[in-house]
Amino acid sequence: MFELTVILKQPKQKSRIGAAKGRDSMASARLVPLSFLLLLVGCASRPLYPLPGKRYDASKKPLQTFRPYNLAHRGSNGEFPEETAAAYMRAIEEGADFIEGDVLASKDGVLIMQHDVTLDDTTDIAEHKEFANRKRTCNVQGTNTTGFFHFDFTLEELKSLGVKQRYPFRDQQYNGKFPIITFKEFISIALDAPRVVGIYPEIKNPAMVNQYVKWPGGKKFEDKFVETLHKYGYRGEYMSKQWLKQPAFIQSFAPTSLIYVSNLTDLPKVFLIDDITIPTQDTNQSYWEVTSDKYLNFIKNYVMGIGPWKDTIVYVSENYLQPPTDLVARAHALNLQVHPYTYRNENQFLHFNFSQDPYKEYDYWINTIGVDGLFTDFTGSLHQYQEWTTPSPSGEKSATKLLDKIGSMISKYRNPQT
Amino acid sequence: MFELTVILKQPKQKSRIGAAKGRDSMASALAGLVPLSFLLLLVGCASRPLYPLPGKRYDASKKPLQTFRPYNLAHRGSNGEFPEETAAAYMRAIEEGADFIEGDVLASKDGVLIMQHDVTLDDTTDIAEHKEFANRKRTCNVQGTNTTGFFHFDFTLEELKSLGVKQRYPFRDQQYNGKFPIITFKEFISIALDAPRVVGIYPEIKNPAMVNQYVKWPGGKKFEDKFVETLHKYGYRGEYMSKQWLKQPAFIQSFAPTSLIYVSNLTDLPKVFLIDDITIPTQDTNQSYWEVTSDKYLNFIKNYVMGIGPWKDTIVYVSENYLQPPTDLVARAHALNLQVHPYTYRNENQFLHFNFSQDPYKEYDYWINTIGVDGLFTDFTGSLHQYQEWTTPSPSGEKSATKLLDKIGSMISKYRNPQT
Repeated sequence: MFELTVILKQPKQKSRIGAAKGRDSMASARLVPLSFLLLLVGCASRPLYPLPGKRYDASKKPLQTFRPYNLAHRGSNGEFPEETAAAYMRAIEEGADFIEGDVLASKDGVLIMQHDVTLDDTTDIAEHKEFANRKRTCNVQGTNTTGFFHFDFTLEELKSLGVKQRYPFRDQQYNGKFPIITFKEFISIALDAPRVVGIYPEIKNPAMVNQYVKWPGGKKFEDKFVETLHKYGYRGEYMSKQWLKQPAFIQSFAPTSLIYVSNLTDLPKVFLIDDITIPTQDTNQSYWEVTSDKYLNFIKNYVMGIGPWKDTIVYVSENYLQPPTDLVARAHALNLQVHPYTYRNENQFLHFNFSQDPYKEYDYWINTIGVDGLFTDFTGSLHQYQEWTTPSPSGEKSATKLLDKIGSMISKYRNPQT
Repeated sequence: MFELTVILKQPKQKSRIGAAKGRDSMASALAGLVPLSFLLLLVGCASRPLYPLPGKRYDASKKPLQTFRPYNLAHRGSNGEFPEETAAAYMRAIEEGADFIEGDVLASKDGVLIMQHDVTLDDTTDIAEHKEFANRKRTCNVQGTNTTGFFHFDFTLEELKSLGVKQRYPFRDQQYNGKFPIITFKEFISIALDAPRVVGIYPEIKNPAMVNQYVKWPGGKKFEDKFVETLHKYGYRGEYMSKQWLKQPAFIQSFAPTSLIYVSNLTDLPKVFLIDDITIPTQDTNQSYWEVTSDKYLNFIKNYVMGIGPWKDTIVYVSENYLQPPTDLVARAHALNLQVHPYTYRNENQFLHFNFSQDPYKEYDYWINTIGVDGLFTDFTGSLHQYQEWTTPSPSGEKSATKLLDKIGSMISKYRNPQT
């Protein structure tokens, strides 16, 4: 099987923090062939080496930071089954700023990209008779749930499954064609992109994972999570130089996990908030408590943003928007970013104010509510909206192109007197 | 009830054709004449209860019809948001930027032309709640199929006006159900003429064989006669892109070629031949899809029409909800100088083929830029307008020299020298 981790074995990564300050002004372009040669020589005994097009390239188009982030929720899962390599690569092709996904763990402790704790809705597990006896009932956030749980399968077994599109009204043609991928493979896809693409992994259901999966040396799920990020060079505070080269946000619904990993990494963290009826899974605190000024003041020592469900920011009645709550205003007052979830194109998800038009929804959330990032199932649509309304300024980097454009505007000008 | 025909009683309309040539150069003089003519009109009409309201008289400075990009045809008004073919749906469409408002013309029992798509009232009105009409249900043959329901031609205009129109699709907004009445063809025309900019009309001669079978007019007049009579009465005339046409643009559409040929003798307004799905023969001449889309037939019909309006899935077939390679219908039509106005574009994902990623703007892009159609019948006027404004904006923005210089100035200030 094609090993996607090949491109990550670059000695430079580990010394990033020290070298970062002087890096940008160095003519690193000249050093790259030399370091490549050294790498080749040094790695001669090893079968893996970076492919020419995929080594770290200082001239990669950087992360855009002038408009709200396009967060590819589970990849482009409007078009491909969620959290597969195809969904993520499609999202990158469509212009995602960050690819987003949920991290869980297999029975043998490998971190995988998977949203549900059960495999029933998003894989063809039901067709695998060899696993039929693994079905069981567990308590998931207070509800007894029956199904095939991810932590009952080794990575090899998980890899034998095919992922399917969970929504019947979306394209079913790729069902069973793509496997579940690991956290490392997810990272590889981001690092492999032709431009800087960030990652937005979630520490998913950590209490449940730690209950059912054990790692040697007393390590916990959160430890392995951060370990993986460090191994691939993800570090640095939000908007620092090193962060901008490999942007990442760590997200979780579990405040204790976020606080715990704060001691392990200075990467920016985002506190996810569920619907108003759902208490936090680890601390059993209500929505009202964790969105109070008091709590936000507390959690902002650990996170730089919140990720609420969008219908709790602006309530909905009879499928029409109500006046917005003050959540975004209060968060912004505390210098917390707001990245709501989830934007979907299908009309059953669009409130009537938006005339069945996903672009009107983007317009409302970006211009009226003023959020800082959007988790969307339709990366391409959000990207198109942003390119039409707030295009990347890099187009006019060339003086000649700018003069050309001005010239054509003047020639199109029609004197009203004529 | 508010009578929307008030704005149409302008003596100028009848002399339009003669005055049209000299009109543009007289623009400033006309502006001076307007208050005078208004006063005369007021005096002249003193005995009549109706007169044009100040904001609604014909205004030579109305923003003209755009003709540089494909037409935005508001299919039954903005029926994605409002119940179809109501005043609200049409006014919303105009607000959202429609070039033309489209609708289907049928006739009441007493011969009044009304805006209504279905020959039965069941799906789009609250007829079921009107116990007083319960006994009017019957079965008729509609294009070869026996259909049971309440037929529009069994009700007088007064009775039809007592009904409330409802949103036919359950997944669209139901909050206006029963709130708006069916409108007449005249009211439809009034809405267009009343708009603050030039908005065209695109009425359909709907099911003419059936209408003529069940509704009779005095003097041996037929449905098609009354249809054109109404258009003439409100000043609609002129060949496509003529000066008079541009002031009051209109297309006449029908699935029935004989009706189109018939009205060709009555008016020079442009006509469009609608073509149904590949399995459905023409309702009047019983000709197959293949026959009426053949080069031979198109060569014949182009003597009477300037365009065709096919169902879009017959132009580009669909398999497993994915587009197939396009057929040559558009190419052949364009080769004969026939425009193509396909129907119908809808935002909801169940109508969007998978190539479009559930994104209606991708569908517009495909049909406008890849297929190259000349007009689009859409249920979502606002979305098409937004797409067109973003990708092919109206050039009128740069009419002001100051605005142009402002824009250039901001582009230069945003410019970043790559060396810095």
